[in-house]
Parts: sequence; C-alpha cells; structure tokens
Amino acid sequence: MGSCDPIFLSCFLIVALPLLSFAVIMIFTWRRHKLSLSISLTCSTIPLILAWSLFYKLHNAVTLAKPIITQVNWLVSDAVIVPFGFLLDPVSLLMLCIVATIAWLIQIYSIGYMEGDPGFARFYADLSLFGMSMLSLVSASGMLQLFISWELVGLASYLLIGFWYEKFSASEAGKKAFVVTRFGDIGFFMGLVFLTFFMKDLNIPGLGIFDINGAALTHKLSEAQVTLCALLIFCGVAGKSAQFPIHVWLPDAMEGPTPVSALLHSATMVAAGIYLITRLFPLFAASATAMSVVLVISTITLLLSSTIGMVAKDIKQVWAYSTVSQLGFMAMGLSAAALGGSTLFAGYYHLTTHAAFKALLFLCAGVFIHHFGTNDFFVMSKDGGRKLMIPMVTVTIGALALAGIFPFAGFFSKEAIMAQLWHLPNKLWVGLGLFGAFLTAYYTFRVIFVMLFPRKDDNPVWKEYYVREPGGHGHGAHDDDHDGHNGNHGVPWVMAFPLIVLAAFACVLGFMQTGLEKFLLGESHPHEMNYLLLVLAVGSALSGIGLAWLDWGSPAAKWQGFIRKVPVLENFFIQKWYMDHFWRWFLNTVIYGTFSRIFTYNDRRVVDGGVDAVAFSTIGSGRLLSFLQTAFVQLNLLFMVLVLAGVGLYLLMGR
Amino acid sequence: MNVMLFGPELYYLGAALVFFFLTLKRKPEPKADYQIAMALGLGGLLVTGLCLCQHGELFFKAYRVDLFSQIFKFALALGFFLVLTICHNLPQIAERDQAEFYLFLTTTTIGMMLLVSSVELLTIYVALELSSYSLYILVPLRRGDGIDVEAGIKYLLIGAVSSGVMLFGLSYLFGATGSTYLADILPKLPQLASSPIGLLGLLLALAGFFFKLSVFPFHFWAPDVYQGAANQVTTFIATASKAAAVALLLRLAILGAGYGYSFTKALVILSIISMTLGNLVAIIQRDFKRLLAYSSIAHAGYFLIGILTLKEAGYIAAIYYALAYLVMNFTVFMVINEVAKDGRDLKIQELAGLWRRSPLLSLSLIVGLFALAGVPPSIGFTGKLLLFTSAMSQGYFWLVLIGAVNGTISLYYYLRVIYCSYFTDDPNLGPITISTPIRFLNYALIAIVLGFGVFPDRIVELAKAAVKTVL
Repeated sequence: MGSCDPIFLSCFLIVALPLLSFAVIMIFTWRRHKLSLSISLTCSTIPLILAWSLFYKLHNAVTLAKPIITQVNWLVSDAVIVPFGFLLDPVSLLMLCIVATIAWLIQIYSIGYMEGDPGFARFYADLSLFGMSMLSLVSASGMLQLFISWELVGLASYLLIGFWYEKFSASEAGKKAFVVTRFGDIGFFMGLVFLTFFMKDLNIPGLGIFDINGAALTHKLSEAQVTLCALLIFCGVAGKSAQFPIHVWLPDAMEGPTPVSALLHSATMVAAGIYLITRLFPLFAASATAMSVVLVISTITLLLSSTIGMVAKDIKQVWAYSTVSQLGFMAMGLSAAALGGSTLFAGYYHLTTHAAFKALLFLCAGVFIHHFGTNDFFVMSKDGGRKLMIPMVTVTIGALALAGIFPFAGFFSKEAIMAQLWHLPNKLWVGLGLFGAFLTAYYTFRVIFVMLFPRKDDNPVWKEYYVREPGGHGHGAHDDDHDGHNGNHGVPWVMAFPLIVLAAFACVLGFMQTGLEKFLLGESHPHEMNYLLLVLAVGSALSGIGLAWLDWGSPAAKWQGFIRKVPVLENFFIQKWYMDHFWRWFLNTVIYGTFSRIFTYNDRRVVDGGVDAVAFSTIGSGRLLSFLQTAFVQLNLLFMVLVLAGVGLYLLMGR
Repeated sequence: MNVMLFGPELYYLGAALVFFFLTLKRKPEPKADYQIAMALGLGGLLVTGLCLCQHGELFFKAYRVDLFSQIFKFALALGFFLVLTICHNLPQIAERDQAEFYLFLTTTTIGMMLLVSSVELLTIYVALELSSYSLYILVPLRRGDGIDVEAGIKYLLIGAVSSGVMLFGLSYLFGATGSTYLADILPKLPQLASSPIGLLGLLLALAGFFFKLSVFPFHFWAPDVYQGAANQVTTFIATASKAAAVALLLRLAILGAGYGYSFTKALVILSIISMTLGNLVAIIQRDFKRLLAYSSIAHAGYFLIGILTLKEAGYIAAIYYALAYLVMNFTVFMVINEVAKDGRDLKIQELAGLWRRSPLLSLSLIVGLFALAGVPPSIGFTGKLLLFTSAMSQGYFWLVLIGAVNGTISLYYYLRVIYCSYFTDDPNLGPITISTPIRFLNYALIAIVLGFGVFPDRIVELAKAAVKTVL
C-alpha cells in the first residue's frame, strides 16, 4: 500500500495538513497572527476540497459497497500488528465531509470573532489540532488509531475550552471537561482490551474491530462478554457525548470562545461518541441488554437536559443543554434501531442534521455575544438583539430546525428517530421521546420569542431579567471592548457568511433523506407514512412552541415559565438536578476521602520509602566500592594480579 | 606491494615526520602548528576514507587489510581529527611542548592503526606498545601541580603490568600451538580443549586490551589518568583508543569460540563487575572527568556484552557501539573543553547555569549524556538495543537484565550533571563564547548522534559487511 495510492494520499493530506499547521504555528509563527491565520486557513481549505472530491469520486454506491481500507503497518510486534491508515465507507466519508466543512466554516467565522485577541495564533493552532484529531478519528482504520485520535480530541477540547486560561472559570471548565471525559475513556479502553482479549485473535486486521459483523461476534463471544464490552465502550461514548450522569462537563464547556462551542457541540467532540456507536453498531446491536441500558440512559439524558434548558438564562447554556438532549435523542434512535433490528440510519441522520443547525445556533449566539458583550439573552433582547437581521433570521431557522418543524432539517431526522421508537413494543419510549420533543420546542422558542419581542423599556419584568453581569458570562475582558461601539457596525461579513451557509444546510438537508439513506445503506427503504405518529410529533413540537408563545411571546404574556407554578421543580431544574452537587460530594467523600487517602498513604510509605531505600543503598554501595580506588598503586596492582589469579584458578578447576 | 594498502599508516608516518621537524624549531609557533595539524588531520581523514575499501595482506601475512580494519582506521582518523579540532587552545601544555604533543598524538594513532590490522601475536604486541608508549608520554605532558605525574606513573605501571600479563599469555598461546599467526592458532585451539593452557593463555593475552578498555580489574588507572591528563589527551584516550581496543578484542576473542561456555563465562563475570562497579562509583564523583572515567569503565562492560556473544549480531553491535561511543563521548568532552577554557579540571558544579551561559553547549551536553545513558532516539540507545538484543538471542538473560539495571543507575549520575547545568545557576559565571567552527562542530555532532540513532541502517550494514571478514 504505497503512498502513491491517491486515496491514501488524499486521506493522509486531510489529516496531516491540519497537524502540520498546528505544529508550524505553535513552534514558529505564534507571534505573527496574520501569517498564522493564512497557514491555518490553507491547511483547512485543502482538506475540505479533498474531502468533498473524495466524496464526489466515491459517492456511487458501487465503489463503496465494501469499505475501502488503505493502511500501512505502523507497529509490528510479533502477532500484534497495529496499522495506521484510513477506512472509507459511506459512514466515515460523509462524516469526513461534515467535519471538514464545519471546521472550515468555523475558522472563517473566527476571523471576525477572535479579532484582536492576544492569543489569536494559538487559537488557530488549537482549532487545527481539533480538526485534525476529529478527521483522523473519523477516518481511522483501526481501533487503536481511533482511540489515539479520540484522546487527541479530548486534549484539543481541553486546550480550547480553557483558551482564556487567565480566567479561573475557563481553566476550571477545561479541566472538568478533560477529567470527566477521561473518566469515561477508562471504560472505553478497558472495553477495547477486553474485546481483544475475548476474541483471542490478535490478528484481527490491526485491531480493526470495525470488520466484525454481528454473526461472527456472537459466534465467538458469549452474550455476557458482548454486553460487558459494549457497556464499557459506551462509558467512553457517554463521556464524550455527554450522556447522563457524566454530562456535567458539556454545559461548562461554553467557557471557551463561542466558535469553539460551535465546533464542539456540532461536528467534533460530542459527535465523536455517537459516531463511535455507529462505527461499532454491529457490536452494540449484538447485545440487547447493553442497548436497553443505552436507551434508558439516553432517555434520562434527554429529559434532564430539556428541563434544565427551560430555566437557563444564558443563551449558550440553553444551546448546550439542547445539545445534550439531542445527543440523548440520537443515542435513543440508535439503541431503538438496534433493539428493533433496524439500521443505524435514523440516529446517524440526526447527527448530520444536528451538526448543521447546532453549529448555526452557536455561531448566531456568538454574533450576539460578540455584539452585546453578554451571554444573557434577556439583556440582548433589551439591548436590541432583533435589529441584527442576518443572525436573527438564521437563529430562527436554526431554532425551527431544532424544534423539528417542517420543512427544516430537524423535522425529518427527528421523524426518523420517532419511527424507530414507535416500533419498540413498549410505547413508553416513544411517549417520552415526544415529551422531549415538546420540551425542546418550548425552551428553544422561549429564547427566540424573548429575543424577538422585547418588552418596553419601562416594563417591570426587566427588574428581574435585566441584570448585566460585569464582563458577561463566559467571556473575558475581550468582549467589553465592543460595548463602546454597539450597533455602529453590523455583522462582519466573515461572520455572516458561515451563518448563511449553515442556514442553507439546515433548510435543504431534510429533503436529502432518501439520497442519504441510499448512500449510507446502499438502498432506500420505502417509508410507509405513519400518520398518527406524524401528527403526534408535529403536534408536540407545535404545542411546545404554542406554550412558549403563551408564556413568552404574546403581548399579554407575563414572561413567566409555566414551571414557575411548581417552585420545587423549578429550583430543581435551576440547580441542574443537583448533578454538580452530587459529583462534588462524590469526589470529596468517595474519591478524596477514601481512595485518595489510601493511595496517598501507599505512595508515601510503600512506594516512596522503597524507592528511597533503593536509592540510598545504591549510593552507599558506590561509596563502599570507591575504597578500591586508593592512591597506593601497589595495592591496585596486587588486586589486579589477585583477580587474575582467581579467574585463572576458576578456569583451571572449574572445567 | 600496493601502496594504497598501507596508505593511511604511511600518511600518518609522514605527518609524524612533519611534526618531528616542527619540534626542532627554536621558537615555538603554536598558531602555525595548530593550522598544520588541522590540515594534516583533515588530509588523514580523506586518505583513510579513500582506503576504506582496500583489502589484502602484507608483511608475510602478519598484517591484514580488510573492511573491518579500515572502518576502525577511519574511526581512529576521525577521532584524531576531532581531538585536533578542540586543540585550538592548549593552556595545559607548555608552548614549546605543543609540537611534541601533536607528534605523540600522531604516533599513538599510527600504533592503533597498526594494531587493528595486525593478525600476528608479536605484531599485535609491538603495535600495542607503540600506541601505549606515546600515551605514557602524553599523560604527564600537562603542566602544573604534579597530579599529572601521579597519573602518568600510575598509567605506566599498570600498563606495564598489563603488558607483562599479556606477553605471558601470548607465550602460552605460542607454546601450545607453535604459531604466532591468529589464522593458524584458531583451528588448533579446540584440540587443546581438554587442557586449560590455551584458555588461560587467551584470557591473559586479552589483558592488554582490557587495560586499554579499562575493564575490571585493569581499570585503576582510568580515574586518575582521566583527571590528571590534559583535557585533549583525555579526550583521545576516551574516544579513539577505546575503538582500537574493541577492534582487537573482537579479533582475539573469536579464538575462544572453541571453548564455549567456560570462556564466555569469564567474560560475563568481568562484564558484570565492570558495569556495576563503574556505574556505582560514578554516582559519588564530583569531578566531571572522573565521573566520565567511571562511566567508561561501565561502558567497557557493555562492550564485553557484544564481544562475548561470539556471534555475528553481537559483533555488529559492538562495532556499532564502538563508533557510537566515539562520537557521543567526544561530544561530552568537547563541552568540557569549551567550558573549561583555561584547561582546569571541571567540577560538575561548575556547569551551573550552562543553559544561560551557552545554550548550544548545554544542548550538546544533554544530547551527548542522553546518548551515553542510552535514551532514545540517540545513537547510544540504538547501540545498547543492538547489544542487548544480540545477548538476549544467545540466552544471556541475566546479563541483559543486569545491563538494563545498570543503564538505569547510570541515568542517575548523567541526569545529575544535566540537573546541574539546567536547574542550578551561579551568577559569578559569565557567558561562554564559542567560535564559529566549534559552533558548526556542535551542530554536526548533535545531528550525527540523533540522525544515526533514528536511521542506524547504513552503519549496521557497514558493520555487517565488516564482521563477515573477521568471523
């Protein structure tokens, strides 16, 4: 598999160029912002072109009927061969294009957003690293390569979330994201080890567990083994894709610059988890138990985050919780499909559409934040957010897509997931799914209506809502500079352009369902329209919007959520279901109080003591031996001759 | 007789003549001498390079020219040249002695070159003595406080005893087989396997080279000589002479192949004691050159690992490591020489703040020391890897294990030096200026140490071809 293979070469360039850009900027050009920008842009534009041309060249199902694998051996150790290479099949190819596109759009957008930031070049270096690791994750041909990229994604997200590291909350958030996802990754890695161990066959092409199909798997592994592996790997997924109960890092992750949030919430970080499920779909599908667990967890995630989204006042926080809920939705779709013997299409499709409209929503939020220097959308509303035409229109489109309103992208993909849930024997799941959709529509349009229809300036509600926190939430001094010239400048073109592109995606992706399905699965299943479900789904979305209108939109609305009527629940939601408290308590008592204490004792006494003893005895023996080196040359010579005589005697006697 | 076969030796003989005439001048001109020496050294490198692919036999088959010997001659020429590059100031040598210094440096190089080609016992002995006697003179050439005299006497006495032991061994070999030609001795020795005379003779005959390589128990001279001799002389002893000793050990040790285990076992014991002793005592040293002396004792143990396998892989490893050791050890000595411009003995503490005083030198130091410790991706790591792999494949598990533990111990004292130069500082020590040629020398050495560590294939191929002519 030489480097002359054009597919290998282009895949290699797609991954290598952003890495190169990261290295060059970090080592050489980090002082020169303009130069760094052009390096980074070049190194993200070429992968974009390459990815789409690969897509164009290979999009005929004939060529992709079998995955194209191009790889070279990277590590060879007896029976274990670890390859480095690329696997192209419809799932990875499409994802490759999505990641390349969104990463590119966000780089364009950041020209405007990060302008004048002292860490401008560093930001672009980190963005390149982020893009590179996700691209390599998506196209990895073996599990080990995927895992390495997976960890790199984690590293890059840590760097970017804590980008404004001089701010305590930002560095804390970066740390939290890193540690919490690492917590899940332990499970992921153990799952991989167990899987390799159970398969007993280290010659799975380069730990390329992708190749396994369900039949071979159940043939080799017992039910319990598959379940164990699937659940352990799901730990990693839960960490990255922010599933209950380790979702806590994602809402904090908005401490990073908004373009980072957009990237993180749409195509890179959180998408990695769902992508892994689709990648290992045969493995997950082989264990009904594991899938039921996934279904339960994802449903809890969906409801939890939707309810928290209803009471948040920070626009990024609303979108963050909506991401968590949509991820839950995707996982629901995938697990329901696995349980019902269906395909991965529904969940994957939602991943695709979600990538487009969630990036859009965050970028719009970024424009507002950039403009008004605050994250609080009530403040934005009062300060005249509706006057910014382009972001206001596009954010509405994004919101419609998120709520699942025809004809926007979210409608179709949500419908596909609902259909999967509907096929489950227990109708509870589809009920909960619909309830989730209702809540999603409600909290989304709470934001939109507040922004669109601000009250008059003397309205008493502002007393409660117009609270300008100094410096804004999630932003450093950087954004305060912009307060001085509010409204003077419109939206910079570099920031508006990605919004329009993404809005276009959010509009048209829905109509590409059949084509995508054909591309992904090789065939398109004719859908029998389930009118009852359709009505229910649209009904729940519309009623969510309707309720939002009554609470927040209509001129008579009191700007009080219906949840205000149940103060206990509202407080519960505002405290984020006390999940942060729970983890704090867990860390303090269980981890620090019990395990750390024991391990610290072991470390101090046993490990350190042992090491010290070895070190001191080594130095001591050095001192002892140095007495051989005396100034008396006679003694030296005597010693020499004695040793020789000893060796001679040994040779004489010993044979 | 083809002149090219004897080319390098003739060239250096001529160079020695030139230096001899320089010593006759009434008024010493160190600058001019140095320039002539550099030119001659560079020419020597060229000549040995040109003669690299010669092969043939000379002087009634007592002298053999093959790839093996030519590689080592090239290494010697390289070592000679490298030592000359750091002779631009010779504060420890009196001005009127400097031409003599070059003269004896040249004669010892000739001796070693003769040595690596000799395949007859008496030729070996004479060549060895030629190289040794020159060094006996070079060591006390340092001017100063008498420490040089002590070192010189110690060197001479221990060297004389080693030579005596070696001659004794050679006489056994001759008595047992009736020949002084290695080629004749080799097939006859296994017939004597029942009596220990051949084995004992061989072991004693190796003593002369154990002395050069400072293998236990012939190591006593090393710390004093390293410290007492002028820095440039120490550099030569620590680099070029080691390579010559390894070459001859490889040639001679193969005689013991017929004895199998009992012969190698003796070498295993010497190797283990050398490594352990050298590394342990190095820990408590304060003088940098003394520390490196003990490190060289430990390295003698590593060399023995490759030699005692008596197999191709081990020999390749030993050749590779000998070449690597020459470069990496020189890198460290070069730093010593540049830091101690006035030629004093460098205490480890005097390296304080080297990162500030000269970033390039501190980088070279770190690269050289890490290579000596065997940290990847340096040339020293690859060498150690080859050595240990070759021994492992012969089943010397314990030897490899002890070698690896020793590698860890050695890391401790190398890191202590690095700690001193990077994490301590002394405001009294000013910056060090280095001349442009030395700057480029630094770059080249770093490139070689790292480059051949990552891509060792060329050297290994060369060593493989060379070993074919010996085994």
